[in-house]
Amino acid sequence: MSSWRSLILRIGEKSPEYSGVIDFKDHIDACFGAVRRELDHSEDDILTFLLQCSEQLPHKVPLYGTLIGLLNLENEDFVKKIVESTQKSLQDALDSGDCNRIRVLLRFLTVLMCSKVIQPSSLVVIFETLLSSAATIVDDEKGNPSWQARADFYITCVLSCLPWGGSELVEQIPEEVERVMVGIEAYLSIRRKVSDVGLSVFEEINKIDKLHVEQDFVEDLWSRIQDLSKNSWKLESVPRPHLLYEAQLVAGKSHDFGPIICQEQSDTPVELSRLNFGRQKHEAELKYPQRIRRLNIFSASKTEDIQPIDRFVVEEYLLDVLFYLNGCRKECAACMVGLPVPFRYEYLMAETIFSQLLLLPQPPFKPIYYTLVIIDLCKSLPGAFPAVVAGAVRALFDRISELDMECRTRLILWFSHHLSNFQFIWPWDEWAHVLELPKWAPQRVFVQEVLDREVRLSYWDKVKQSIESTPALEELLPPKGGPDFIYTSDDGDKTEYTLSKELNSMVKGRKTARDVIIWLEESVIPINGLDVTLRVVVQTLLDIGSKSFTHLITVLERYGQVIAKICPNEETQIMLISEVSSFWKNSAQTTAITIDRMMGYRLISNLAIVKWVFSPTNIDLFHTTDRLWEILRNALNKTYNRISDLRKEISNLKKSVVKAEKIAAMAKAELDGAEAKLMLVDGEPVVGENPVRMKRLKSNAERTKEDEVSTRESLESKEALFARALEENEALFLSLYKHFSTVLMERLHETFGEKTMDHPVGDSEAMAVDEDDTPAMEMDKENGNSKRNVGYTIGEKEQWCLSTLGYVKAFSRQYASEIWPHMDRLEEEVLTETIHPLFRKAVYSGLRLQVDQ
Amino acid sequence: MALLFKDPNKISAYRDRRFPGTQEEYEHALQTSTTVYIGNMSFYTTEEQLYELFSRAGEIKKIVMGLDKNTKTPCGFCFVMYYSREDTEDAVKYISGTILDDRPIRVDFDWGFQDGRQWGRGRSGGQVRDEYRTDYDPDILLSMKGGYGKLVQKELEEQRQVVDYGVGSLGSFQPTHMPHNYGRHGGGGGHGYGGSHRHGRGDYHRKRYREDDRDRRGPDNSKRNSEDEPRRNSDHDSRQEKNPRFRERGDSDEEEDDRKRQK
Repeated sequence: MSSWRSLILRIGEKSPEYSGVIDFKDHIDACFGAVRRELDHSEDDILTFLLQCSEQLPHKVPLYGTLIGLLNLENEDFVKKIVESTQKSLQDALDSGDCNRIRVLLRFLTVLMCSKVIQPSSLVVIFETLLSSAATIVDDEKGNPSWQARADFYITCVLSCLPWGGSELVEQIPEEVERVMVGIEAYLSIRRKVSDVGLSVFEEINKIDKLHVEQDFVEDLWSRIQDLSKNSWKLESVPRPHLLYEAQLVAGKSHDFGPIICQEQSDTPVELSRLNFGRQKHEAELKYPQRIRRLNIFSASKTEDIQPIDRFVVEEYLLDVLFYLNGCRKECAACMVGLPVPFRYEYLMAETIFSQLLLLPQPPFKPIYYTLVIIDLCKSLPGAFPAVVAGAVRALFDRISELDMECRTRLILWFSHHLSNFQFIWPWDEWAHVLELPKWAPQRVFVQEVLDREVRLSYWDKVKQSIESTPALEELLPPKGGPDFIYTSDDGDKTEYTLSKELNSMVKGRKTARDVIIWLEESVIPINGLDVTLRVVVQTLLDIGSKSFTHLITVLERYGQVIAKICPNEETQIMLISEVSSFWKNSAQTTAITIDRMMGYRLISNLAIVKWVFSPTNIDLFHTTDRLWEILRNALNKTYNRISDLRKEISNLKKSVVKAEKIAAMAKAELDGAEAKLMLVDGEPVVGENPVRMKRLKSNAERTKEDEVSTRESLESKEALFARALEENEALFLSLYKHFSTVLMERLHETFGEKTMDHPVGDSEAMAVDEDDTPAMEMDKENGNSKRNVGYTIGEKEQWCLSTLGYVKAFSRQYASEIWPHMDRLEEEVLTETIHPLFRKAVYSGLRLQVDQ
Repeated sequence: MALLFKDPNKISAYRDRRFPGTQEEYEHALQTSTTVYIGNMSFYTTEEQLYELFSRAGEIKKIVMGLDKNTKTPCGFCFVMYYSREDTEDAVKYISGTILDDRPIRVDFDWGFQDGRQWGRGRSGGQVRDEYRTDYDPDILLSMKGGYGKLVQKELEEQRQVVDYGVGSLGSFQPTHMPHNYGRHGGGGGHGYGGSHRHGRGDYHRKRYREDDRDRRGPDNSKRNSEDEPRRNSDHDSRQEKNPRFRERGDSDEEEDDRKRQK
C-alpha cells in the first residue's frame, strides 16, 4: 500500500500509486482513505505536505480542494488549521509582493469554497479587498498611478479565480458576484491602457495606430471571463471533482476566513514629473511583471477549437509547472504533457514556451531552461512535439525581420543549442534561398549566426557535414581557420619577426613580466616606437596563448602587466582590441572571450571597448553580423555583474553591521550592569564581584565594539567602491548613448529624413504580410516558402538603421534599472532636441517611457 | 521551488573519497561550491566548446580540463568554475544530461577544484558509451533525409585533433592551477591535506574574484618547473585510486547506476 504522502503527491496522475489509471473519484477515495487513517498520528506532517502540494502543484488544486472538503466532514479542526494557515500565507505573500504565491493561494481558496470549506461571501470579501486596493492605486489623488502594474496584478488575480469557481459563486451569491464584476468594470474604466511598446516580441513598426485598437492583457482576460460568463461559466479545462461529492460536501462546516490587508502604496509623490513617473512605473513593473505575452505564431486553425478561457487556463497550468517544477526535469516534462484537459494542446504548449523564451524584458528563468524543456518535451512526445517545434521555428524565421533584436539573439542561441542536441539535423534546403538575399537581410544573418553558434558548440567539419544537402550554404559558415598570427614566417617585416621570436624565447625561458618590461623599455620602444612594440607584444603573447582558453588565461596572468604597461590609456587599449580582433578574425568566439578576459584583468576598460565597437570600420558591420554586438553585450554584462556583486555585498554587510551593533550593545549593557552592581557594595567602590568576570566582560565589550567598527569600516569601503562603480556606470552609458546618437544621426537623416517610421521606405512587403494577417504556416504550404523572401527590398542603409535602432532599444530595456538613475543627465546631454525622433523613440520604448507627442 | 521532488540534502550521489573533511563538511562544500564537475565528455571536446555551452548558465571564471597524465591530453572530464552560486546551480539543473559532441554529459556540483585533480588515470580507450544514445534518439526531431551515417560521423570525429596540453610553443604553459599552498601537499600527507582543504574552500568560494582576478596568483605560480610534475602526479595518483570520478570509463557499472539514480 502506498503511503499517504505519495498518494497526495501523485493524485490525478497516471502513476503506480493509483495503478496507472486516472479516475478522479478513485484517486480521491483512495487518497482520502489513507489520509484519514493517518490523520491522528501525523496531523502536522499531513497539514504541511498538503499545503505544499496545493501550492506547488496548482494544476491539481481542484483535487486537493475536494480532498480537504471531505476531510472537513471528518475533522473540522484540521481543516480550520488549513484555512488559518492559508490566511497567514496569503497575508505574507501580499506583504512581500510574492506574485506567484498570491495568485496560487487565491485559486486554492476558490476551490476550498467549491468544497464548502469557506463561504462564498468570504471569497468575495477577499476579492473586494484586492479590488478596492487596485482602485485606490490608480486614483490620481489618493493613489499613485505609476504603480498600476500592481493594481493590474490584483485584478488579474481576481479574474483568474473565476474559471475555478465562477459557476459556484454565481449559483450561490449572484448579486455579490455581480457587484465584483461591476467593480472590475469601473476599475477598467479608470486605469490606463498598458502599451506593449518596447516589450513586444514582434516590432510592428508599421502599425503605430494598432495599439489603440488592441486590448491589453487585463482587458483581454476580462473579455475571456465575460465570454465564460455568457457561456454559463462552463469550460473544459478545469476539473470539478467536488461535484462527484456534492451530496456529502454540503454538510461540511464552512470556516471563517480572517481579513486580509493590502499594503498602502507608500511612496506617493506629491507631483510626478514625467521622468519620476517613468522611474516608478519601471520599478512597479519589475515587481509585478506581466506573466506572459501571447505569441500567436501558429495559424488559428491549430488552436481555434480551444475556447479563449480554456486557452488561458492551459497557459496558467503550463506557466505554473514551469515555475514550480523548475529543476525537476522529469516531473516538469511529465506534468506538462499530462495536464488534466480533454483536448490536445501541443501547439498551445509550444507557443507558451516560446513566449517565455522570448519574453521581454526578461523571462522568469534563464533561456537555457526553456531549451532544456523543449528538448525534454521532444523526447516525451516524439510523435507530436518535434514537428510543432519545427513549425514554430519556420513561423518565427518568416517574421524574423520584425522580431525584436534581443529576441533574435535568444532565438539564435536557443536554436543552435537545440540542434546540437539533435545531431544538427535540420532541413536547411528550405532556407537555401537566403543566399540570394543581400548580406544584411535578417534571414540571412540569422542563418549565418545559427551556423556560427553551431560551430562553437561543435566543430566546423561537423556543421559543414550537417548542411551537406545544401552545400551552397557553406558560404555562410564562419571561416574555418584558427588564429592569424602575422609572424609565422619572416616574409613580412624582418625586424618585427625577430622581435617576436625574441619575446617568444623570453617567455619560454620563463623570464618574468618585469624582465620583459625592462627589455621593452630599454631596447624595443626607443628604437621601434610604441605602435610596433604593441603589435609585436600582443601578437606574440596571443600566439603563445592561442591553444585554449586556459592557455590564454595563463599568458594573461603571467604577462598581463606587460600589456598593461604598453596599453595604459584608452587610445592604446583600443589599439590592443584591434590587434586582438585581427589576430582572431577567424573566430568571433575567441575574439569575444579574449576581450572579455582582458576586461576582467582590467587591461581594457569598458569605455575603450565601447569606443572600439563604434570605430568606423566596425560600424559598417553592425547590420551584417552579431560579432560586435556580442563584444558590447559582454562588456555591459560584466560591468553589470560587478555592480550587482557590490550591491549584494553591501546588503550583506549592512545586515552584519546591525548584528554587530546588537552584539556590541548587549556586551556593553552586560558590562554596565556589572559595573553598576559594584558601586552598591556598602556605598563603597569596592572591587567586590568576581574580578575575572569583570575582566572578561570588559574585554568582551571591547572586542565586540571593535568588530562593530571594523564591519562598519568594510561597509564604508564597499560603499565607496559602489559610489565609484555608479560613476563609472554613468560614464559608460553616457558614452554608449553618445556613440549611438552620433552614428545614427547622419544615417537616419539620410534614410528617413525627419520622418518617424510610419511609412518606412521599401517595407511594403512586410506591411502586406502584416495586413493580410495570413498565418505563416499556411502561407508556406500554399505558396512555397520563397515567395515572401523575394520581396525583401530593404536597402542596406535602412537595414543598418533598423538593426542599430533595434540594439538601442534592446540595451535600453535590458539595463533599464541601471540607466534610470542617470536619466536626468542622459536627457540633458544626449537625448537633446536635436536627436533624431527615431533614436529617441528607440531609447524611450526600451525604457518604457512615453514618447512626447 | 520544486522542493516536493527533491531532497535538498541529497545534492550529489557521490562521496568523493579524496575530500578531507567529514560528510557534513562535504555536503556544505557542495552546497556552497561554485565549481561543477563534468563527466562523460568526448576526448575531443575543447575548452571553447565548453565555454560556449556553460556560459549560457552564467559568467565563467575558469575551465580545467581533466588530462591523461601520460599523454597530457583531455580524457573526458573537466571542471568549470563560475563566479556565482546561482549560475553554478543553473549549470547543474539545465546542462546535466544534455548533449555535447554527441554525448550526454553529466554535470554535478563539485566540492572545489584543487591542484592535481585535473589528472585522470592513464589507460586509454573505451570512450564510447553508446548505450546512452538510445534514449536521446536524434531522429525524432524531424523525420526527414533518412539521417546521417554513423560511419561518416566517426570519420569526422577522428579527423579532429585532441588538444595536446603538453607540447608546442606553450610547453612551459601547461594549464597549471596551483593552489597557493602547493608546497604543503606532498610532505604533509593526510594531515596536511586537511589543512589545505580549509584554505582552499575559503579562498575559492567566499567571494568572487572579478575585481581582483589580477592579483590572485602570486609570482610563485609561474615558477613551476616541469621537474615538479612526475613527483606531483605520483603523489596524487595514490589518492585518486579510490575516487569514483577518476575511474576508468567502462570499467564498472557504477557510473551507469549513478546516472539512473539521479534521473
